[in-house]
Amino acid sequence: MKRRGSTAARLAWVVWALAASPAAAQLLPSEPIAFADGRVTVSGEVLATYGCELAPDDLCRNDQGFFNYTDYSHSALREVRIDGSAAVKAGPHFTILTEVRTENFSDVQPYALYLRIRPWTARDFDIQVGRVPPTFGAFARRTYANDNPLIGYPLAYQYLTTVRPDALPRSADELLAKRSTGWLVRYGVGNPVPVQGVPLVTAFRWDTGVQGHAVMGIVNVTGSVTSGTVSHPLFHDDNDGRQIATRVELRPMNGLVAGTSFARGPFVSTAAIRAALGGDTAGGPYTQTAWGGDLEYSRGYYVIRAETIWTAWRLPIAETPPRQLPITEPLNALSTYIEGRYKLRPGLYIAARYDHLGFSDIKGASATLPWDAPVTRAEVGGGYSLQRNLILKLSYQRNVRDGGVLLQHASFLSAQLVYWF
Amino acid sequence: MAAIVTRSQRKEQRTQSAAAPCAALGGLLSLLAFASFVALVSLSPARSAFAARSAAASSQTRSAAAARPGAIRGRVELRRVVSAAERRPTVGDLGTPAARDLPDLLRSVVYLESAPRGAFETNEGGHAVMDQRNETFVPHVLAITTGTTVDFPNSDKFYHNVFSLSKPRTFDLGRYAAGHTRDVRFDRPGIVRVFCEIHSHMNAFILVFSHPFFALTDAEGRYQIDNVPPGTYGVIAWNEGTPSETKSVTVPDGGTGELDFTIR
Repeated sequence: MKRRGSTAARLAWVVWALAASPAAAQLLPSEPIAFADGRVTVSGEVLATYGCELAPDDLCRNDQGFFNYTDYSHSALREVRIDGSAAVKAGPHFTILTEVRTENFSDVQPYALYLRIRPWTARDFDIQVGRVPPTFGAFARRTYANDNPLIGYPLAYQYLTTVRPDALPRSADELLAKRSTGWLVRYGVGNPVPVQGVPLVTAFRWDTGVQGHAVMGIVNVTGSVTSGTVSHPLFHDDNDGRQIATRVELRPMNGLVAGTSFARGPFVSTAAIRAALGGDTAGGPYTQTAWGGDLEYSRGYYVIRAETIWTAWRLPIAETPPRQLPITEPLNALSTYIEGRYKLRPGLYIAARYDHLGFSDIKGASATLPWDAPVTRAEVGGGYSLQRNLILKLSYQRNVRDGGVLLQHASFLSAQLVYWF
Repeated sequence: MAAIVTRSQRKEQRTQSAAAPCAALGGLLSLLAFASFVALVSLSPARSAFAARSAAASSQTRSAAAARPGAIRGRVELRRVVSAAERRPTVGDLGTPAARDLPDLLRSVVYLESAPRGAFETNEGGHAVMDQRNETFVPHVLAITTGTTVDFPNSDKFYHNVFSLSKPRTFDLGRYAAGHTRDVRFDRPGIVRVFCEIHSHMNAFILVFSHPFFALTDAEGRYQIDNVPPGTYGVIAWNEGTPSETKSVTVPDGGTGELDFTIR
């Protein structure tokens, strides 16, 4: 509680510093800072969000249903995020790009750090090595807060399921008992410490590896080999497996982007596999496979985006306790969202997103149910540019969860201030 | 090119109005334009000194209407390094972004701080063009009179979204494709900063004057303001948001006043 109070105070300070003094904000840089003859470019972004769950007995409580949590102690609706990005050009062929980030004034994390190589300057072909942008999907590469018209994130990229790479349920019944507790889940096999599960595809960490990208007319093709998977990116590999991801994007006309993505890689850590199966077992078919399709169309004052992601996790079957059933099928999940933004007048827009996340059924000893509780989210809101690079967003978000042990309905009112240069 | 077109149109308009008798209606409109101009300036303290200066009515010039107009010319020297806005680091991109042109930041605008009598006659306005080419606004600086309509064609293969949140004129033209154009009419004097919503490094300036006594410098920094009635004037040079100190110059009857500037 003390930590939350402290965070709220810091949040209030940032909001005051940015909003209460537009004159002060004008003194802040409005363009990226360049030096060394333009070879080094630095930009930044500060984002302060405060959201309230609307409950009959408490009009501004924190997210009791953990709908917007991104780890066990961190809600996307109550955060101060400070980003710093830099590009260092080392000649026509090499650029080093990095982004560091701190959330709620915790440790500074390297969100991205990679070398971009352009072997032939006249050809649209690049190789990127390091902690690289996600190949899969569309949303996770929207790194800047004003790329997201609303405050909340799409469920596929943020909502924490009950799947963990380092801990495994002993049976279908144990998994079903944990429905909706993805923000802090504990299982009987593997790491006994309760921590958060993974989203379908994370927007908050990038993977480490090698990526190639080519543009051929209206077709953009990307492929990568990385240490983790789309739901569990890694810097240090935990299972000696590599994920392969591809993306093909078509831009047949102005304003239209259609993309399809695929990713597959070993998901479960070696330690968890050994805990489940015993011996020196490593690797194996305990993978995450993901398919995605996305579409964007924009024209005039509106932008419409839609994205569907299907994924399947294959978990090792541990020794099942008596009178319980094993997990024999992959755990599938399907998420689809559609969002739109429309500008009403200069500096003012409205936006909405409708989002659903569903899970495949599994059979337990007492019931057959989706292995995690399905969630539907609707969010409406808007943004107003106090200055070109200072945006105030407001949103209303409604969440409905079908089952599980936690709160099944929650509505939020949120405000977010974004400053960037 | 755009500024030249506009200036020639203005010259034509001035010639027409000089030939016409000094009708009571014209005088009334001038008075109204002047009064509303002063009111706007006084109501908007945040407006730049540029607008206030350009708006102030001249009490300096009392030369006879029959006096021959002259010119002010000189050179603006830039003793500072101004860099074009850089692209934000493309950390989230899957590859190198396409090459872009860099804007010409060496052009300055020189203008009379106080306009001579008759400067606020109604102006039907002409057309000027600010192109969007290789992720750059061309020209980077446009100087126009109130009433001018600026066309914003898109000459790139991809979308742009021109907008401004500047107080003299807020607008948002939305996303439109290559070969299409949208336009905006500017009716209030001041400095309008223009941006592209999609490409944050694209920016430009439109300086809107309520009088016609201004000029853009050429590539060497030279300028000439023509058709200035004889008299003594305060003159300001402006470059990339930085105005010089006001300098005084006297325009002799039918002659030319010389005035150089240094902007640091």
